[in-house]
Parts: sequence; structure tokens; C-alpha cells
Amino acid sequence: MKQRARFSRTVVVGGAALALVLSLTGCGGGSGAADDGAIHVLVYGDAANKVEKELVATFNETSEVKVVLDTIPGADYQAKLQTIIRSKQAPDVFFNWGGGSIKPFVDAGLLLPLDSFIADDPGLKANFLPSVFNSAVVDGASYGIPMRGTQPVLLFNNGKVLKKAGVEPPRTWDDLLAAVKALKADGVTPIALGGGDRWPTLMWFEYLYDRIAGPELFQKALDGDKDAWASPDSRKALSMIRELVDAGAFGTNYDSVKFTDQGSPTLLATGKAGFELMGSWEYSTQQDAHPEFAKSDLGYSAFPSVEGGKGDRANLVGNTNNFYSVVKKTKHPQAVAEFLKLMYSDRFVKAQLSIGNLPTTTNTEAFLDTAASPEFAKFQYGMVKEAPAFQLSWDQAYPQSAATAMYQALQQFFNGSMDEDAFIEAMQALPTS
Amino acid sequence: MNPTAVVSERPGDKGTAGRALKKDGPVGIGASRPGFLWAVPAAVFFGLFAIVPLIMVAVLSFASWDGLSDPEFAGLANWKKLLDDPVMIKSLWLSVLLTVLGVAVQTPLSILLGVWAAGHQRNRAVLSAIYFVPMLLSIAAVSVLWRALLDPNLGVPAHATWLFGDGNLFGVQAGAIGVLVFVSTWQFTPLHTLIYQGAARAVPQVLYQAAQIDGAGRVRQFFHITLPQLRNAIITSMILMVVGGLTTFDTVLILTQGGPGSDTTISAYYMYQKAFKSFDYGSASAIALLLVLVSTLISLIVVRLSGYDKMRSTMEGL
Repeated sequence: MKQRARFSRTVVVGGAALALVLSLTGCGGGSGAADDGAIHVLVYGDAANKVEKELVATFNETSEVKVVLDTIPGADYQAKLQTIIRSKQAPDVFFNWGGGSIKPFVDAGLLLPLDSFIADDPGLKANFLPSVFNSAVVDGASYGIPMRGTQPVLLFNNGKVLKKAGVEPPRTWDDLLAAVKALKADGVTPIALGGGDRWPTLMWFEYLYDRIAGPELFQKALDGDKDAWASPDSRKALSMIRELVDAGAFGTNYDSVKFTDQGSPTLLATGKAGFELMGSWEYSTQQDAHPEFAKSDLGYSAFPSVEGGKGDRANLVGNTNNFYSVVKKTKHPQAVAEFLKLMYSDRFVKAQLSIGNLPTTTNTEAFLDTAASPEFAKFQYGMVKEAPAFQLSWDQAYPQSAATAMYQALQQFFNGSMDEDAFIEAMQALPTS
Repeated sequence: MNPTAVVSERPGDKGTAGRALKKDGPVGIGASRPGFLWAVPAAVFFGLFAIVPLIMVAVLSFASWDGLSDPEFAGLANWKKLLDDPVMIKSLWLSVLLTVLGVAVQTPLSILLGVWAAGHQRNRAVLSAIYFVPMLLSIAAVSVLWRALLDPNLGVPAHATWLFGDGNLFGVQAGAIGVLVFVSTWQFTPLHTLIYQGAARAVPQVLYQAAQIDGAGRVRQFFHITLPQLRNAIITSMILMVVGGLTTFDTVLILTQGGPGSDTTISAYYMYQKAFKSFDYGSASAIALLLVLVSTLISLIVVRLSGYDKMRSTMEGL
């Protein structure tokens, strides 16, 4: 009797353990979101999802194949995408930054070239500003359709602070140095910088390299020419950054300040700083957090020109746009093509403008008056349209494996803990796909 | 994994294993000693979530993989890169430094607080309850909170320039390490205080009474009775601190992101950067394996030095 009891206990425990193992390995197999007959669209989760949801609802009203929008909180977006893209849960269409951000996907043969869609409907290409559309062209094939707004980096200012110090938005580098001096004498931090985030620091490098050497130098470096970083133009840009930092333009504690937790925008809005170099989203950030300031005192201008530099004063840097790319193994390419056509519809343009984004379709101009702030929208649109070159942010242009080392070098050179030669060496060591 | 070991324990079994067991164990009761089978669920979990991933990580450390294309065998490339990588060496030192600083700051603090809180006075009970609060908060919440509180322009440093200067805490290495040590001290001291409080209460009162008769003052009593009696508690608490220190990740992720530069990039965070920022899973796996080796080594040393493996009772002779 006792023996039998023990035996049955053995069976129960063993069975339970076995069941556990089976269920655990079962969840590794990925039986989750199998093909449910819908198109899954993976997007970066933030305030702009409002428009994406509207568009999906519109599309689903008429389409037989439904679209399901999956939003992933921004900070985890890239990691999540990269983890699921090869699994059964892979989306059909996904959000990205074009350029370097999709290159590894293209190399791995995961993306569908959109040229056949474009052959069927030339509007999928012709309705977008070429400089923007082309930043998602990889190895001669188109892989992305612009799906949000363009985000050029501009020099924002606090009009009240500038007025008090008798400073105008600078048109040249010397103007900027003079403004720094005057603002410092007036007791404010001349330029707010969220150095803790590191990418705001990067913007100063991007613009100075562009103004001094033109967009070609960075392109050469990106193509693998290590000498580009050691060229006289590169050294000149670095010495000018050094000069600006050493002049106290950013104060001393910029590396403890962040943009992402409202640190640097608050400095600008509360009059503790005169300028901030930031993507066009500074405007909507200020509108959210400091609406009074955004309305009355928030000014903006293009990055100043540098005398003797090779870069055009009208050149821009920033995020050209975000893109939708299509995964090769999608089961509904026709429906996806129909969905992508919405990205140049009037409805899309109006919806994006209403939340402060600036779409890059050719028909955007006609609707600029409906924007959240028409004046700012027109200023931006004019700049993007006229820009001879629009440099994609370095951290997006380089492969992702370069980002950490790049940020470290940028921050250390900027705060003086790394000298010019060490910085050049660090940039030369970055992987260039 | 030998199921016969269990079967042979059955009474009446003539197997040698059963007989050997019976000889050692108490007669009768020894027969029903829990067999290996009882360890199966735990062993399965351990195997599935520790051993199997460890083996996979070891394999991956010899491959180059970005998560998109297929992994490619890369030989020793990842390891060579790692050993030449100044950030890697630095990150190991930083991990050790943060751990040592954590132990050095938290141990005296929590011993004093714990011994003080061991008293049964009402005010001590109330204050102990308040001290305990930080432990109830999640590390992420605590880190976000302190990040905001220590903002140089909008936080405490802006109002206490005599102490913080320009408030560039996150912009210099000493400041950033100081913040990390301070925040983990603020969060984890209560746990260790609790350990010491319990241990201090377990010290037999007769020892103090005897010491009082011999004329020992409070300080002398603390150093000659309380502290020696807390020996096992100190070992336990220090091992927890070392383990916690070596596996620190969330505070670094939220407070400093490894910055300024790579000045607070500890090994665990460096591994995260390689895997989920740079998508270089091969290198990240090599770091992970190195971290396993180093941590194993350190815990072996701690166990050997502390005598944790043959912990003596502090009650001998009582």
C-alpha cells in the first residue's frame, strides 16, 4: 500500500515537471499572433499615434484586409523590432528612420523593394519631396514611404532674453560668438544644452562639419574613408567647437541636463538661457509645457553660416522623416500598397499638420495655413524645400553598432576629457557597414 | 538525472544504493528521506533558465550576430576584441569599485541603524518604520525620482550651491559614481538594517548583564559583545551587498546611462549596450560570459574568506 502511494506520488510529481517543461518550451515556439488575416503595422509609440490610428480606421472602413496598429513605447521600439522581425510575430509594415536604420534589414534580405508598387502607382514616389524620399533608398532601390513629419534642427531662442541683452538671432558664426559673450555678461547661460542625452550635443557637430566642410566630408567618412576625420576641415570644425565650449557658451553643467526630462527646454522657456539648438519638435514641446512662452517669445532661425566654409547656409541636418517599410514575407502586398497610398492623401497631410508635424508631400504647401502654427510650418517647409542638402543625423546614418562609441567620443570631446587626436581616432574606429 | 536512485530507496529493495543510504541515515525515517525527485522542479527551472541560456550564450560568444541575419561563426574574434577593448577592462574595475564603495558605505551605516533600531522603545519603532519606506519603492521609481531631484538647474543643487557648486553631478566621474553609491545606499540600507536589527535582538541579554557587572560601558559592550555576535549577520549582509553590487544595472540605466563618456559603464550595463543598443549579440555574449566567470570567482573568494561554507554558531558556550 505504502509502496503504491509513493509510486503514484512519483508519477504526479514527474508528470507535473514534464508538463511544466512542455508548456515552457511551448511558449518558446511562438504560437502567439499567427496569421490572423490582417496587416500588422508596428509604430513608435508617442503623441503622433493619434493620426496613425485615424488613418487605420479610415482604411479599415473600405478595405477587405484589415490593418492592425501595434504601438511600442519609444525607448523600446528598436529593440522590440529587431527581436521580432525574424519571428512569426513579425509585422508586415514597420516604422523606421530610413538610411542607416534599415540598411541591416536590407542586407539581411528582409525588406520588400517598393519599386514594383511605384511602377503601379508612380504617385507613391512623385508625391514626396525628393530629398526626403531618397533618404530611404538603399543600394538604388526604394524601401520606405515617408509617414510622419520632417524634423530639421533649428536654432531656437528666447526673444525676451535676446532683447534684454541686445542680441539678434545670429546669421554668422561671429555673430553667435558675440551673442554668447553678450548673454554671458547679462548673467544667463548663452545656450541651453541637454548633454545628458548626448544626441543634442551631436547636433553641434553635425552643423559645424556641414558648414565648414560641406555634406561631402561626412559622406566620405560614412563610406569608409578614415582620412576624412583627420582632414584639416575636420580639425577646423573641432577647434571651433572647442572655442565655443571654452567661451562658456553652454555653462559648465550641461552634461547633467537632459532634454528628455524637460531640463533644457525649461531653461530656455524660463529665461535662464538664450538659445537652444534642437529639432523642430522643440516647438511642440514648448507648446505643451510652456504654452505662453511658445506663443509670445519662442523664436527660431537657421544655423549660422561660417565664413570661408564650404557648406551652404541653407543646408539642414536632422531627421528627414520617418518611413514605413514593408517586410518581404507579407501575405498581403496589394493591400499594403493601398495602405501606403494614404500617406500622400489630403487627409493625412491635414491630420499631421494639425498635430504640429510637417509632412513632406508635394501637396503639403497647399494646406500650410491649416497647421497648428502656420508661420512656423511655412518657415520649416520653405527651409526643407530649398535645402541643397539635408544631412540625416549621424547616429541614424551610421550603423547601430556605432552609436554607443560615437556618443561617448562626442561627449568626451565636448566636455574636454578627450583631445582632438583621440576624438579623431575614436571616430575612425567606428564600424561603417 | 538518475531515476533509479529514487526507486532504490523503496523499502525492501535490495539495491546497494538503498542499503548504503539506510546505513548512514537514521533507521526507518531514513527510508523516506526526500529523493532526487523532489528537486526535479527546481532543477528543471534552473536548467531551463540558467544552464541552457548559459550554454547558448557561450556558443553565441563565438559568433557574430545582429539578430537580423543568421549567426555566423566568428571564432575568437569577439574575445580578442573584448580583451583589447579599454571600455571592457574599465567596466570591470567600475563594477568592483561600485561594489566595494557600496559595502564600505552601507555596512557601518546599517549596523549602527540596526543595533539602534533593535531597542524596544516606541520612538525607535516609529522611526524604524519610516526608515523602511525606501525599500518598498521600486528601484526604477527611486532612480527616476533622484534624477529629477538632482537636476542642476531645477533640483536641489540649484538651491544648495554651497554644497554642489555648479551642480554638474552627472557630468564628472566622481559626481556620477557618488550619485550611484548614494542612491543605492538610500534604497538598500533599510534591508540590511532589518537584518542587523533581527540579529541584534537575538543577542542573549545575559551577555550584556554580565558585562555590566564587569563595568563595561556602552561603547565597550558594542565592540565586544554586539559586533562579535553579529558576525554571521555581517557575512550574510555583505554577501547580499556584493551580489547586488555586481548585478547593478537599473540605477545606471536610469541615472547615468553609463556616462559621462564611459565613466560609469559597469560590465552589466556595457553588456546591455552591446546587445540592445548596438545589436552586437556576439560581443554582448562574450561580456556576459566574462561576467559569469568573474562573479563566480568573486563569490568563491567571499565564501572562502568569510567562512560562509562552515558558518559557526555564535551561541557556543551559552
